[in-house]
Amino acid sequence: MKEQLYILSTITVKNIKLKYKNSALGFFWSLLTPIVYLVIFTFIFSNAFPNIENYPLFAITALVFWTYFSNSSTQIVNSIISSSGILKSVSVPSITFPLTALLAETFNLLLSFIPFGILMYFFGFSAGIELLFIIPAILLFMLFTFGFSLILCALNVFYRDVGILWGTLMPALFYFTPIAYSYELIPVSYQWIVKFNPLFHYVELFRAILYYNEIPSNQLLLTTVLLSFSFFAIGIFIYKRLERGFISNF
Amino acid sequence: MDKKENIIIKLSEVHASFWIHNHGINSIKDYFLSFGLKKPFLRKHVLKGINLEIRRGECFGLLGKNGSGKSTLLRTIASIMPIERGSINVYGKVAPVLALGVGLEPELSGFENIKIAGVLMGLTKKEIKNCRAFVSDFSELAEDDLKMQVKRYSTGMMLRLSFSIAVSNNPEILIIDETLAVGDQGFQSKCIDRIEALKKDGCTIIIVSHSSEEIKNMCDRAAFIEEGKINFVGEVKKAVDHYSNTFK
Repeated sequence: MKEQLYILSTITVKNIKLKYKNSALGFFWSLLTPIVYLVIFTFIFSNAFPNIENYPLFAITALVFWTYFSNSSTQIVNSIISSSGILKSVSVPSITFPLTALLAETFNLLLSFIPFGILMYFFGFSAGIELLFIIPAILLFMLFTFGFSLILCALNVFYRDVGILWGTLMPALFYFTPIAYSYELIPVSYQWIVKFNPLFHYVELFRAILYYNEIPSNQLLLTTVLLSFSFFAIGIFIYKRLERGFISNF
Repeated sequence: MDKKENIIIKLSEVHASFWIHNHGINSIKDYFLSFGLKKPFLRKHVLKGINLEIRRGECFGLLGKNGSGKSTLLRTIASIMPIERGSINVYGKVAPVLALGVGLEPELSGFENIKIAGVLMGLTKKEIKNCRAFVSDFSELAEDDLKMQVKRYSTGMMLRLSFSIAVSNNPEILIIDETLAVGDQGFQSKCIDRIEALKKDGCTIIIVSHSSEEIKNMCDRAAFIEEGKINFVGEVKKAVDHYSNTFK
């Protein structure tokens, strides 16, 4: 157990180091990217959606987690392929690599809370008891992100198309999820479609806590718990089923 | 000594296959264009019933043409490659399979790679520290080289790094897959000395090589593999003869 933790922490640190290895600004990119988005959105959308009170805070509370989701899924999808050298020479559980990719991104997320906390405070964020819910909310979101990305990761070993397709679909998913706009702006007759997007429920969860300063409703909590555990279970199941074929297809 | 105790690796009726993309299909698009008529994956039978016993403390050579299944056999022993049928018993800890540069992270420095390889091999912090000292000494790579990213290494430097890592912590079973040839003369003989020393300490060594001389000089016994089957096991000289005869 202790040995496993040691492996996980070392590889996680490796991933953190590797991600921005050859860039001049390094880690700051994980802060800069969402800030650039935030500036663009505020610029474009705050006039388009005048009904949304405090638009920058509204956007940032979802944007930070979208960035986490998109970075983690991208890293996890390629994690097995990019570790093929190690997997061909050392006997180590292959799930180490997607898992440490997730942990490295989670570490980046937590670090980014410091500047974003300051920024949010600047935009008028106030904290109450409901802030405690952010911890289970992040854990649930991690579980969902992991399960979802594991499916893509396992398929990507066999068909690289999956990774390419995912890179192409992500911007569409971004606009399909009420991140830059509010759910209420969607015509009522179409609102049910958005509910099929699992990300929508997590965005609602984070916004309830950070933007509306509310304790999330039981229904919302139940939905996200169910989503997280089902995606996690399905992800692990598919991954385990396909794992045996990995070595022939690195 | 009891014969059973003497055996460190025992393979019986081992079958292993690769699942490879069917010819012409390597994307979903092609699959749909064939209207599902072609099967997306084909099974390539690589090991076809391997029976092999390797004794504790011996240096064992594997000979065979390219593509005969040598590397796959090594990977099944190191439990990297899953087997389909049969059984493998390994009574000892296997060091990472040495194939050139495989397992090194090109973007990271030599030192960082030592740490990661060490962790993955299951070494403790202290052992990794020893490993670091050993590698600096044994590989003859300068401090500056080891601080450099591995992607800037030459093939020989990569061999020096990966070989040094693998032999640093007195492994019980060492597997060497066609690597020594790229080292310069000095390092090759250093490797051979190290292998002899490890053998004296009771380490079991399995070597794949295409150099008959290397096998003759180092190995106690050897096997000849042809198309996923072991056609000969025993005296080194005879195994080398079998191997040479396939090219006549």
